[in-house]
Amino acid sequence: MIVKFLTYLRERPNMMKWLFMAYLAFALVFDFFADRHHGHFWGDNIIGFWAFFGLIGCLALIVFCKGLSHVWLERGTDHYDK
Amino acid sequence: MTSSIFMHPATMFIVGALLLPLFKKFNAQKIWLVVVPLLAFIQIKYLPASFGCVEWLGFKMQFGRVDQLTMVFLHVFTLMALIGSIFGLHVKESGQHAAAWLYVAGSLGTTLAGDYLVVFIFWELMAFASVFLVWYRKRKRSIEAGYRYLLVHTFGGLVLLGGIFLRYLNLDGDLSFVAITPDTATLADYLIMIGFMLNAAVPPIHAWLPDAYPEATVTGAVFMCAFTTKTAVYVLARGFAGFETLAIMGAIMTLYGVGYAVIENDARRILAYHIVSQVGYMVCGVGIGTEMAINGACAHAYAHILYKALLFMGVGSVLEMTGRSKLSELGGLYKYMPLSMIFTVIGGIAISGFPLTSGFISKSMIIAAAGADHQLILMLMLSLAAVGTFLSVGIKLPYFIWFGPNDCGLKPKEAYWNMQVGMFMAAFMCIFLGVYPDYLYDMLPYVVNYHPYNSYHLTETFHLLGFTGLGFYIMVKYLKPHDVSNLDLDWFYRRGAGWFMWLARKPISATNEWVSNVYQTVGLRFTMALARALSWFDWEGIDWALDGSARGFVKGGEQVRQFQTGKLQQYIGGAVVLLFLVLIVVVLI
Repeated sequence: MIVKFLTYLRERPNMMKWLFMAYLAFALVFDFFADRHHGHFWGDNIIGFWAFFGLIGCLALIVFCKGLSHVWLERGTDHYDK
Repeated sequence: MTSSIFMHPATMFIVGALLLPLFKKFNAQKIWLVVVPLLAFIQIKYLPASFGCVEWLGFKMQFGRVDQLTMVFLHVFTLMALIGSIFGLHVKESGQHAAAWLYVAGSLGTTLAGDYLVVFIFWELMAFASVFLVWYRKRKRSIEAGYRYLLVHTFGGLVLLGGIFLRYLNLDGDLSFVAITPDTATLADYLIMIGFMLNAAVPPIHAWLPDAYPEATVTGAVFMCAFTTKTAVYVLARGFAGFETLAIMGAIMTLYGVGYAVIENDARRILAYHIVSQVGYMVCGVGIGTEMAINGACAHAYAHILYKALLFMGVGSVLEMTGRSKLSELGGLYKYMPLSMIFTVIGGIAISGFPLTSGFISKSMIIAAAGADHQLILMLMLSLAAVGTFLSVGIKLPYFIWFGPNDCGLKPKEAYWNMQVGMFMAAFMCIFLGVYPDYLYDMLPYVVNYHPYNSYHLTETFHLLGFTGLGFYIMVKYLKPHDVSNLDLDWFYRRGAGWFMWLARKPISATNEWVSNVYQTVGLRFTMALARALSWFDWEGIDWALDGSARGFVKGGEQVRQFQTGKLQQYIGGAVVLLFLVLIVVVLI
């Protein structure tokens, strides 16, 4: 049953995309109503700060780490056997 | 100790391990494998605050000291031993179970130890027992990785022992294991700290972990991911809370580990690197040292053991059923192993800190403690590592194993029933703790004034996770795994050992050969002639006088030689068994 449901979802990537976008929109709207008394620093008072942080952080991590791997760290899996 | 009804939990596991072959003979190994950890788990509640104090060779040793801090770790260690043993029920080799249990015993013994000498004994047991969990995989690579693991841990153990000796000198024989304050710390304390940090996999002495864990057996890795690093977190929390070095190193660890988790290909290597990242949170929490931060470190250790073991069980099931663990060779397995998929995804969302999972209520506590302590940079580093966690273990790992752009074409069966039970138990705990955090909070060493479910924490989490997902969605093509691995700091000793061997083989060996040639042509003839003369005198003259004892000795030596197999594994195993027989006798009496 779960397999069928997942296959059903996988065959509809567009629907999944819109559902995901709807979730992101919901998260942004939710931020307007959050209680900000627990904030630790200035970023906590900016609406959407953590959205920005998450997206930029994620992209930066991928670009930096993958880049470093390509230009320097990447080796064959039998590198030490040679 | 004999006068009361309880038993040291470590003794239970040691005796349990020694009796395993017996139960196997009577076809009751599976029952024994469940009974012992279950008893240990129930029994920890009845341990007195102090027990097992002995005087041995002039040392005061304390095998049992129980307080709130010990209790959290004991609780999760014994629970994990139960889950791990159930997960491994299908493994027939008693040796593997025995190694796992001795390893658990080492961890429990360290946690309960009241002085450094006992810490050291059980610390070494952990290293020596766990290396068998790597060796039992029986591949050439595992054997090699096991030796490296053992060497690195032996080095760490020696640093620790050096620190303990110095401390013994400094404090005039007082070896009690108590908190050290940063102001009064001396070289001895820092050596001890480095010994502990090696087991916590703090860079630059972390490379043993991603080197050995992916080479361990399927069940071995499940045990290893839980005990070594978290025992190290415990001893750091016990002895070194509030050391700023730890706070900074911990924050660096979180990013270092997660960076490698983003680029690695082997699923178990990704998870191994990710342990470095997660333990970083705990080390950072210990380093911040406030009540909230220590609570957070303990809570996170508890939660982390369960979801990281769950993830190792999930990818371990895939490895067991397909023989593969590289993301580049997997994909589309959700059709064949749906239950393993669900359990692993639960582990993935728990580690990422989804609301209603254990990560949400534990990780945030450390981040909030960093914020409350006005450590803005640390807080942002930890938050960035949380982004990387969701990216690498929350999405990338399950996506490329169970879904992915390509179907790998394999049609494996679902994991064995006992593996599923193990995964179910861990998955249940991940969600249970998320829904009912007070179960965990009530166990923590200090009173908890933290409420994870406030609207601000929720919105922060929604954003971090949602937009990390968006980042993955944008970059998914770029993240496609390839069959490579990445250099890490183990390069120094792996290549260094190669150079050392070259040096030994080429110049040193050549010199040696030259010298022995000279010796053979000149010295040997002279020596041999002399030896023959002396031997004749000894054999004919002296030995007859002594009733032929030399001849008897030669014969005896021949017989002893047959015991010596020349296999280091067997020697170490024998030595460990012998040591613990002695210890059991000492503790029980």
